[in-house]
Amino acid sequence: MDRREFIKGAALGVGVGAIGAMGAYSYSPMRRAFLKDVKRGTADIGVCKAVKITNISETSWFDNGIFMQDVTGAGGLLVDQYTFNWPPFGNGKGIGKGNYADGMKLIKHLLPNKLEEAWKIVSEKSVHADNAGGFSCLVEIENMDGKVTKYLFDTGWNYLWMDTCYKREGIDTMLANNEIAAMIQTHEHMDHYFGLPAVTKYNPNIHIYTPNTFYPNGKQYLKDCGHVGKWTEVPKGLHKIQDGVALYGFDCPIIFNVFGEISMYCNVKDIGLVSITGCCHQGIILFADTAYKTIAYENDQFYGLYGGLHISPFDDWDPKYDDLVIGLKKWDLQRVGCNHCTGLITAQKFVDAGYPVVKGTARFRSKTTNYLGNGDVIKFPS
Amino acid sequence: MADHDIPYLEERKLIKRWQGPWPVLANMVLTLSIFAVTWWIFQDPRGIMRFYTPYVGYNYCRWWLVILIWMAYIFDFWPFKRSWIRNAHPLQKGLVLSLVSVGIMIMMIHGFFEGILGNFAFAYFSPHQLQKLPGLTEFYSTEYAAQACMMFAVIASWISPAWIVALEGRPWQDQGQPVRGFSIWLGTFCLSLVIYFMTMHNHMGILYYPWQYFTAITPPYWESFAQTVSANFHVAWIMCCTVVVWFMEGIWERYPFCLIKRPWLRRFSLFFGIIVISVSLCFFFWYMQELVWGDAIRGHKRDAAPDWRWLHVGETAIFFLVPALFLQFYCGNWPNKFSTPVNILIRTFLVILGGITVYCLYYQYAHLVLGTQKGFSHPQQFPMIPMIWLINIWLINWWFMDGWPGWKRELRTSEDIATDEHAFAAKSAWTPAMLPGLVVGILAGVILYFAIVAALPWFSAHFTLVQ
Repeated sequence: MDRREFIKGAALGVGVGAIGAMGAYSYSPMRRAFLKDVKRGTADIGVCKAVKITNISETSWFDNGIFMQDVTGAGGLLVDQYTFNWPPFGNGKGIGKGNYADGMKLIKHLLPNKLEEAWKIVSEKSVHADNAGGFSCLVEIENMDGKVTKYLFDTGWNYLWMDTCYKREGIDTMLANNEIAAMIQTHEHMDHYFGLPAVTKYNPNIHIYTPNTFYPNGKQYLKDCGHVGKWTEVPKGLHKIQDGVALYGFDCPIIFNVFGEISMYCNVKDIGLVSITGCCHQGIILFADTAYKTIAYENDQFYGLYGGLHISPFDDWDPKYDDLVIGLKKWDLQRVGCNHCTGLITAQKFVDAGYPVVKGTARFRSKTTNYLGNGDVIKFPS
Repeated sequence: MADHDIPYLEERKLIKRWQGPWPVLANMVLTLSIFAVTWWIFQDPRGIMRFYTPYVGYNYCRWWLVILIWMAYIFDFWPFKRSWIRNAHPLQKGLVLSLVSVGIMIMMIHGFFEGILGNFAFAYFSPHQLQKLPGLTEFYSTEYAAQACMMFAVIASWISPAWIVALEGRPWQDQGQPVRGFSIWLGTFCLSLVIYFMTMHNHMGILYYPWQYFTAITPPYWESFAQTVSANFHVAWIMCCTVVVWFMEGIWERYPFCLIKRPWLRRFSLFFGIIVISVSLCFFFWYMQELVWGDAIRGHKRDAAPDWRWLHVGETAIFFLVPALFLQFYCGNWPNKFSTPVNILIRTFLVILGGITVYCLYYQYAHLVLGTQKGFSHPQQFPMIPMIWLINIWLINWWFMDGWPGWKRELRTSEDIATDEHAFAAKSAWTPAMLPGLVVGILAGVILYFAIVAALPWFSAHFTLVQ
């Protein structure tokens, strides 16, 4: 045998064999032999009796066209939110030329108590300040002994809008009376977080949970808004906060240079799992799938959800969103309380696909009855 | 064949100006500096023009690549005179040809696709037409149009070089320029258009509510096979084709297809061989993700989403193109001293190592320098943009600037080319004595494949790329 020719043949053969195996095996049913089976989660977070959610505000911005005009002007979806010159960090230099320090310098001395005065400056220095709204909701957990624990989800964006909404729902009084156990700050996005002074104004001592992925500006904002209470940074994974309730931290990259989000799982006695989200940037399927792989919940039933599902927040569309609309069927959801960044098109598609979407009243500047609007309430069990 | 009939890229012989690593270092300093400056000016989300919206920048990036291929490979630098191409200073050529390529790119995107097709044929190529849809903002109108246009470029960047590499420019190889260029250009353009209709048009039809059943087949025919209605499934294998075509042209030297003596059998075997190899790679890159991240879950928005995983197949392929071109251009397609199959095996191994390195470096550090967001599965982020941007700059450096400053150009005569081809044929020739080795090699290749498959979950469990 000629050694040189053998090596030549072998070198050719290695390529042919490896590429041939790739093509023949990698997408065949046989490939499952090397894939792990998904194991059902067994973590016990306990149970609660009922969950009630009050939608304080789901209208993050009022005119999508104006908002997207800002996005275009600043340079797209990957631009850092703190540089947009959005309220409250406006410096008067125009779209895409802002920064946290410049904007904060103008209003810091007014926070958190003089919101109207601060917003007047913000309106002059920022782009489209009046277009800002915000996302926030009140979650009330009824324990098995009948005791109710309240959590505030997010703080919205526009100081004045949020202050008005909080007063409308009596949140201001609840905060002032220490009736709210903690504030769950789901992620760092402007429409969920920049309205923080509207909360610290009434209770600067409130216990705040945030993802542990906040950027330095986000962390500084906590201080600049006068927060002096307990601050818990939630890392990736499951974190029980009371019987039947757990937060889950997701490490996910998000538009406008934000990273990480926390959402809430509630295991409701006799009905199943209820999930509550701010924006659910991790995706509702991942959220459901994570619960399935992590938690043991009642009836093995992913029963219901509330919050933004971040599917078509800008009334955009992509075929992958249809994958979601189609893929959600397998979870057999019983009650869908979606709104906010779920998107109007998605809500319509959910309704048309026959999902049990809980309708709203379209009050207080909410745009459609297809989903839960501002001031609407959803309960689990209903 | 007269010397002036030899394509310019073929008649060149690029010689290192200096001994040792200095030529490579000089060219890396130059090209990486140009990358950094142009990235900041045009693409960086923190920079000046911020085209990385993402689709606007992606569209320019992909189309620029296609235009570079057209200019150098299909039109052989026509309408520029060969004497100018041969004698002008590399810097002058680089600047002039780059500006021309950008001009053509703008004309193709905004003139042909937006202006003509968008206004007279397909509304989705025109942001202006799309804005007539109730509720659709200017931003997304621009993004959708850019995405549609970019998808055409994805196909063209495979078909255009494949016609030259695999079909050897047939049947127009004997025509002079511009007849040859325009013939191949029209042929590849028409073929790209047909493939576009069959792979991407359906995707655009789903962008609307209700789905455009009467203008596109929806849901698309690949839905059940690919677990998604997104055309990212096609982006995956077509991107692999784009990469494999350059592997064939560069590190693989068209081997083993060059062994086929019957011309048309060789050409078609190579053309379809590129597709077969690409689909195999595509499936393997998909499988790698299953082994590392678990099953794909339909409707997922992140790293388990089928549409994103198909996209990531294409992204992964591009990570391997970068070291392949680096090896071909700046390392003289090292090694060359062994027989062709052995050379190719060593090069492939080096490219695999290089690709893995680039992949790891990108996901660990790219967000710190490119203005992007850390993490794998940002829905609006495409690693292909910086990778192709860098490749475009290397192509300009190597094709337009003759490898300046590290390399100088000499010319080969047709006799020189014939001598080189003869030497290559001798190194590559098939002999029956190779058969036992081939059988053992195939077996080793299959074992190697399964060894990688078995090892991937372990690596995944022990190494975390993105903290």
